[in-house]
Amino acid sequence: MADQAAPLEQSGAGSRVGAVPAVSRAQQFRDILGDLGRLAGVRGGLIVTPDGLLVTADLPPRISGDALAALAATLGRELEVGMEQLARGAFRSAFFSADDGAVFVGGSPIGFVIVLADTAAEPAAVTPALRQALDRLQTIWT
Amino acid sequence: MRVADLLDRVLGVLLSSARGPSAADLFRRADRLRREGRHDEAVALVEDGLQRSPRSAAGHLLAGYLHLASRRIDRARDAFQSVLALDQDHPRALLGLARIAIESGDADAARPYLERALRYHADFPEARALEEMIASWTPRQIEPSRTAAAEHGLRLPPGARDPILARLDGGIVFSECDATREAAVAQHLVQIARIAGATLSRAGLGSLRRGAIEAARESTYLQADVGLVLAVTLPSGTAVGDGMAEVGRLWAERAQPVPGADG
Repeated sequence: MADQAAPLEQSGAGSRVGAVPAVSRAQQFRDILGDLGRLAGVRGGLIVTPDGLLVTADLPPRISGDALAALAATLGRELEVGMEQLARGAFRSAFFSADDGAVFVGGSPIGFVIVLADTAAEPAAVTPALRQALDRLQTIWT
Repeated sequence: MRVADLLDRVLGVLLSSARGPSAADLFRRADRLRREGRHDEAVALVEDGLQRSPRSAAGHLLAGYLHLASRRIDRARDAFQSVLALDQDHPRALLGLARIAIESGDADAARPYLERALRYHADFPEARALEEMIASWTPRQIEPSRTAAAEHGLRLPPGARDPILARLDGGIVFSECDATREAAVAQHLVQIARIAGATLSRAGLGSLRRGAIEAARESTYLQADVGLVLAVTLPSGTAVGDGMAEVGRLWAERAQPVPGADG
């Protein structure tokens, strides 16, 4: 099946004359996840657009990036739409914890940054780093 | 090659060049732009391409993606429907329509799209993930099912609102939401708990226990277990620890086991 969610660096992106080369831009996306990955307890992450396009991912091998991206985009959209409908203001970030770890979600006009973490991760450390990542993403993308 | 054939081919190339790029070229360029996040430019190319080739499923599919990425949901739906009019089992158009149905809170409408997408393309991880997620959802309960606990008022901190305890089938156990927004609050909370639960599970992290959602004006804190989810919304700026403590206190007060609350 033709995969609409190919990694950016494999998609021929960045062919624009005079623009930042594609590899450089793809590298910047990877760097965003790489920096988040250095935080204590973080196991990986991905960047996905609202239509489910997997921009880049750095996940443990047993996790399917495409499947997780589909769920993450759905979760991100529900957070965006719900906050708007309930007049709580624009969605910024969220975390959801379970017995063995947590998922952090950051929202932006471009899409969502998702971070997977184990129980050692501190929301007080991950959430501000996630916000910085979203700012960087916006700068690269626009 | 005969001279006539050669001339024919050269003429074809010249005419093609004079007409500009083909629709397929435009769609390829649009897809590259989409992957760079240059959606407006991509939309312009897709529109141009569809004028040249209005029966291109690939063009309508790209239009659907671009509208979805830009949160133009109605136009995305129309574009995906146009794909299905040309190719009734196009898996990615079916996935797009399923996403839109889930987003609008209509899992029943999403289910047949996903089943069709998986019928001919069993190895389709995005569709499989969404299909498995909604397969675990119990049918929505229309009538709220309040318990006696709902009759007692809650002690809430200043600025708190929308305290609610719901079952994952959508039934409301108790709520002190404004009546005009109670149904919307419950639906959103249940959807978040279900989708976040599926995401945590897919990541191998276990079942949803707690959460915090920060928006510009308010933040919502939630706690979940055995088919129940409780939430309260506090003003923006509330420390996460305080919010989690508040929802924990409410959970201890009100989230007693409820018969039939394991859906």
